[in-house]
Amino acid sequence: MSRPRLRFEDLTGGYGSTTIVRDLAGAAIAGEALCVLGRNGVGKTTLMKLLTGYLPCMRGRVLLDEQPITALDPAARRRAGVSYCPQERPVFDDLSVRDNLTLMGASRKLAPFRRYFDRFPILERRLAQHAGTLSGGEKKMLSFVRGLAEDQPVILLDEPSEGVQWENILHMEALIVEKKAAGAAFIVVEQNLAFAERIADRYLIMDQGRTMLEGSRSEIERSHVLEHLHV
Amino acid sequence: MRAASLVVLIAVVLPFLLGQFWAYQLGLYALYAAAAVGVGVCWGQAGFLPLGQALFFGLAAYLSGLAFVAFQDTPIVAVLILPLAAIAAGLLAYLIGSLVFRRSGESGAYFSMITLALALLAFQIATSWNSVTGGFNGLKGIPGLPGFDDISDVYYVSAAILLAVLAFAGWLYNAPIGVLWRALAQNERRLQLFGFDTNQLKAVAFGISGLMAGVGGAIYAPQQGIVTPQVIGFGLSAELVIWAAVGGRASLFGPVIGTLLVGSLTAQLRDTLPFWEVLMALFFIAIVLVFPRGVAGLAEPLLRRFPPRRRKQAAIVAPGDPAARPPAKLALDDVSVHVGEVTILDQLSVDFEQAGIFCVIGPNGAGKTSMFNAVSGELGAASGKIGLGGVMTSGLAPHRVSALGVARKLQIPSVFPDLSIADNLAVALWSGRAGKLALLDPRLRRWTSPMLKELQSRYPFLAAGARKAAELSHGEQQILELAMALLTEPRVLLLDEPCAGLSPEETAAAMEIIRWAQQRLGGAIIIIEHDMSLVKELAQIVYVLHNGALLAKGSVAAIQADPAVRAVYVGGEK
Amino acid sequence: MPDPLIVTQAINVLYGVSTLAVLALGLAVIFGLLGVLNIAHGEFVMIGAYCAYVAQAGGWPYLAALPLTLAVCAILGLAVEWIMIRPLYRRPFDTLVATWGLSLLLRKIAEAIFGLGYQSVNIPLPGTVKLLGTEYPIYRLLLIGISLAVVAALVVWYGQSRTGSRIRAMVSNPELAQAQGISVRWLAAGTFVTGTCLAGLGGVMIAPLVPVQPFMGLDYVLRAFFVLIVGGLGSVAGLFSGAAAIGGVDSIISAATNAANGYFAVLVLAILFLWLRPRGIVARG
Repeated sequence: MSRPRLRFEDLTGGYGSTTIVRDLAGAAIAGEALCVLGRNGVGKTTLMKLLTGYLPCMRGRVLLDEQPITALDPAARRRAGVSYCPQERPVFDDLSVRDNLTLMGASRKLAPFRRYFDRFPILERRLAQHAGTLSGGEKKMLSFVRGLAEDQPVILLDEPSEGVQWENILHMEALIVEKKAAGAAFIVVEQNLAFAERIADRYLIMDQGRTMLEGSRSEIERSHVLEHLHV
Repeated sequence: MRAASLVVLIAVVLPFLLGQFWAYQLGLYALYAAAAVGVGVCWGQAGFLPLGQALFFGLAAYLSGLAFVAFQDTPIVAVLILPLAAIAAGLLAYLIGSLVFRRSGESGAYFSMITLALALLAFQIATSWNSVTGGFNGLKGIPGLPGFDDISDVYYVSAAILLAVLAFAGWLYNAPIGVLWRALAQNERRLQLFGFDTNQLKAVAFGISGLMAGVGGAIYAPQQGIVTPQVIGFGLSAELVIWAAVGGRASLFGPVIGTLLVGSLTAQLRDTLPFWEVLMALFFIAIVLVFPRGVAGLAEPLLRRFPPRRRKQAAIVAPGDPAARPPAKLALDDVSVHVGEVTILDQLSVDFEQAGIFCVIGPNGAGKTSMFNAVSGELGAASGKIGLGGVMTSGLAPHRVSALGVARKLQIPSVFPDLSIADNLAVALWSGRAGKLALLDPRLRRWTSPMLKELQSRYPFLAAGARKAAELSHGEQQILELAMALLTEPRVLLLDEPCAGLSPEETAAAMEIIRWAQQRLGGAIIIIEHDMSLVKELAQIVYVLHNGALLAKGSVAAIQADPAVRAVYVGGEK
Repeated sequence: MPDPLIVTQAINVLYGVSTLAVLALGLAVIFGLLGVLNIAHGEFVMIGAYCAYVAQAGGWPYLAALPLTLAVCAILGLAVEWIMIRPLYRRPFDTLVATWGLSLLLRKIAEAIFGLGYQSVNIPLPGTVKLLGTEYPIYRLLLIGISLAVVAALVVWYGQSRTGSRIRAMVSNPELAQAQGISVRWLAAGTFVTGTCLAGLGGVMIAPLVPVQPFMGLDYVLRAFFVLIVGGLGSVAGLFSGAAAIGGVDSIISAATNAANGYFAVLVLAILFLWLRPRGIVARG
C-alpha cells in the first residue's frame, strides 16, 4: 500500500464570510490519481484553491508527507513539491510558448520536453508564438505539459481536458499513466466523466460543498456517479 | 442641538479667553477651516481626495480682492460681489468634477492628479499675470470690509462664516445626500445599481467643497488686505488636506479642529522647531495608514457617553408607487460581448416572460453573470440589443437601467457596511422615488413603505435600524441585500446565487421570500443558481447557458431529459 | 548648412523628450507594471539631485553621486514598499494617499536638512561643442545619449532576460506566477526598488541643470504621470510617444511664448487624454 503524499482533512473554506466547502477529506497517494467530480458550483475549484493555498482554510489541514503546509502560500507549496495547473487563465498570455515552458526551469533548453513534444507536436510548432494566441484547448495542453515537466511528487490538475480534442485527451491519459508509474501522486478535478474513468484510482464526488461519495473506482458504480453529475 | 449651542457659545467667548493675538490668528485660520470642511465633504464623505483645493480658495480671494480694489469708493458693490466670487469658485469646481468623473474606473487617482496639476497651474498663472494679479508680490492694498475695522471684528466675521459653513455641512451630512455620499465611498457600484448617478453625486460634492473654499477665500481678501499666489498654490492645498486628515476627515468638526489646532500651532512652531513639520508629516502618514479617524476619532468614545437626545419621530410613508409600472419582458437579442480575444457572450438570444421565477444554469464560464452584467449596463455589448418591455437598454449607463425597473442582488453580499441598517434600507427606498431636490430633505430618512413593513415582520433584525450592516452575519447580509433589492419594487429582479453560504434553514426562508416577492410584485425574478435542489423547487422555466449562448430552455424535467444538456454536464467522447 | 537656431531648437526638443523619458521611466516601472501610483516619485528624483549636491559639497567626483543615490533610493524604496505599498496593493486610492504622505515627509526632511533655498550643482562637463553649425552644451548632449542608452538597456533587459520574463509573468497573471514558485512579494518589491532607483538616477542626471530645492519633485511626478497617461502604460512605445507628445508640446510652446503657456498646453493635452482616451496613444490590453 503506497503512502499518501498529500493529505487533507476537515477542510472548510470559502470567500469572505461565505462558506463554500465543508469537512472535505482525502489524499493523493503515490502512483495513484484521485479524481474530484461534481457539477460546477459544487466547490471543486474552491477545494483546489484551499489545497494550493490561494484561499485560507477556515478549518482543517493540508499535509505534505505528513508535514502541515496549511500556512504556506502558493509559491512556497510549489517549492515544497506541489505542482498546480489552474482551471482559469492556465498560461501566461503575454509570454511565448517557449517562455511559458522554460520560465522557472534551470535553463532555456528544450531537451527535457522532447517526450511531450512527441505527443503534442503543435506545441513545438508554436514555440515562438505568444501563448495568448493559442486556442483554449491548446492552452490547456501547454499548461498540462508545464505542470508535468516540473517533475514534482504531487500534481494538482483543475479540469485539464477542458476544450481539448479527444485524441489529445488520450495523450494526456498516457502521460499521466507514465507519471503514476514513476511514483507521482495526482489530484484531478474533472467534469468529463469519460476521461476521469480512464485515469482515476479513487473518486471524490462532491455536491453542495460536501463529499457525497468517496471510494476506489471499483467500489463505486457508474450509475451512482452519473446521478451526482447530471442536473 | 445641544452640541450646536455649545459650539456657538465657545465661538463667542473664545477671543476673551485667548486674547487679541490669538483671536486674530484664529480669525485667519477659521477661513482656512471653511476650506478644510470642503475637503471633508469630498474625502471624508464621498471618498475622493482633492489635492488642489487652494485653487478655489485663491480664485475667490483674487476675484474678491479685485472687486474691492475696483470698487474702493463704493464698497457696498464689492460686498455684493463677494458671494458671487464664492459661487464662481463653486461652479468651477462643479464643472471640473462633472468633466472628470464621467471617466469612471480609476477616476479616484486620476482626479486627484488633475486637481494637483490645476493648483500648480493656477499658481503659475497668478505669478506671471502681473497686470491682473500683481504677480509674485500679489494684489496689494485691498480695502477692508466696510464697518468692520477692529481686530476682534476680523475674528467674529470669520467665526460667523465658519459657523455658517459648518451648519450647511451638518445639514448636508444629515440629509439623504450625505447618506448617499457615504454609501458611494463604501460601495459605488452598488449605489449605481440602485439608480443613482454617482458621477453627478461626486461632482456636486466637489462643487460644494469649491463653494466652501470660495467663501473662505472671498472673505480672506478684504480681511488680510493682500492676496498673494501662496493662497492659490500647492502649499495651502497640501496643508488643507493634512489639517482635514489630522483633525478627522469623516467628522463634521474634524477638519476645523485640525485647521485651528494644527494649523495655527504650526505657524507658531515652524520657526522654533525645525523638525516640527517632519513630525507632522509622520503623524499624517500614521493617520492615513493606521488611524483614519484622526483627532476627532479620539473624542468619539467620549461622545458616545452622551448620546444625542433623539425625539422618536414618526415614519413617513414613501410617496410614489413604482409597482404601478406594468411588468415588462426582458429580452436579449443576438448579444455578443468580447473581452480581448475571448468571446464571453456569443450571439446570445433569450426571451424572458414578464412574470414568474426563472433559473439560469450552466457550466463555469458559460456567461451567466456576464449576461446579468450586460443587462444591468455594466458590460458593453459589441453587438445585439437588450430591451425591457420594448425599451432598449443596451448602451445605457447602469444607473439608468436600474431606473427602468431592474434590480440586482450580487453574487457576494454587497451592502453598505458602515451605514446603519436603516440607512441601507432608506437608500433602497429613495431609489426611483426621491427627486434630486428631495435629497436635501432630512425627513426622507424616515421613509417606510408597506413592503418594508412586511419584510420587517418576517425578518425582525431589519427593524434594528441603528446597527451597522457590517455587524450582521453573512446570512443576514444576504437577506438585507435581498430586501433592499425588493424595496425598489422592480419589474425584473436579477439574483446571483442568492443562497450561497446560507444554512439549510436560511435557504428555506430565502426561497419562501423569493416566492412571496414574486406574488407580491408580479414581475420576473431571474436567478443564477448552481444548486439543483433549489432550481427544482423554484423554477418555472430553466435556461441553460453554454459558451455564451443559450443551449436549452424549458421545464426542469425537459432540460433533464435533453441530451445536449447532459453532454455538457457529464462530458464524453468527441 | 541648416539654420543654427532651428538646429538648437531641434536638439532642445530632443533633449527635453529624452530626459522626460528617463525621468518618467521609474514611474513607468512602478505605475505601468505594478499599477501603483507613487506620488512620491518626484521626491526620489529630488533625492538623486540632492545626492549630487552632497557629493559636490563633499568634494567628491560627480560620479560618486551614483552609488550614493542608488543606496539611498534602494533602502528607502524597500522600506516604503514593505510599510505602505505592500499592504495596499489592491487599494489604489489608499496607495495614492499614503504615497502623498510620503512625498510630504520627504519634502519636509529635505527642507529640514537643506533649507528651502535653491542649491546649485556644478555641471561636471561644462563647455560647448560645435555641432551641425551651432554650439551646443556638451553635458546636455551627454544626457541625451545616457537617457536613450538607459531606456534602451532597460527595455532590452526586460524583454530578453529571465527576470524580465518573470516580471511580465507576475504582472499579467500573478496567481499562475505563484503557482510556478515565483515569490511575487519579493519580485514586486524588487520591481518597486528598481523604479525608485531609476528616479534617483534621473535626479542625479539633471541636477546640474535645474535649481535643486525641496519642492522640485512635484513638477516631475506630474509630468511623468502625464507622459504615461498620454503615451499609454506598459510599453516602451507608449513611454516614448508620451514623452514626445508632452515634451514636444512643452518645448515648442515654451520656446514660442513662455514657460507658463507651455505648462498650460501640457495640462490641456493631459486633461484631454484623461477625459477622452485615458489608455493613451499606445493603448494596450
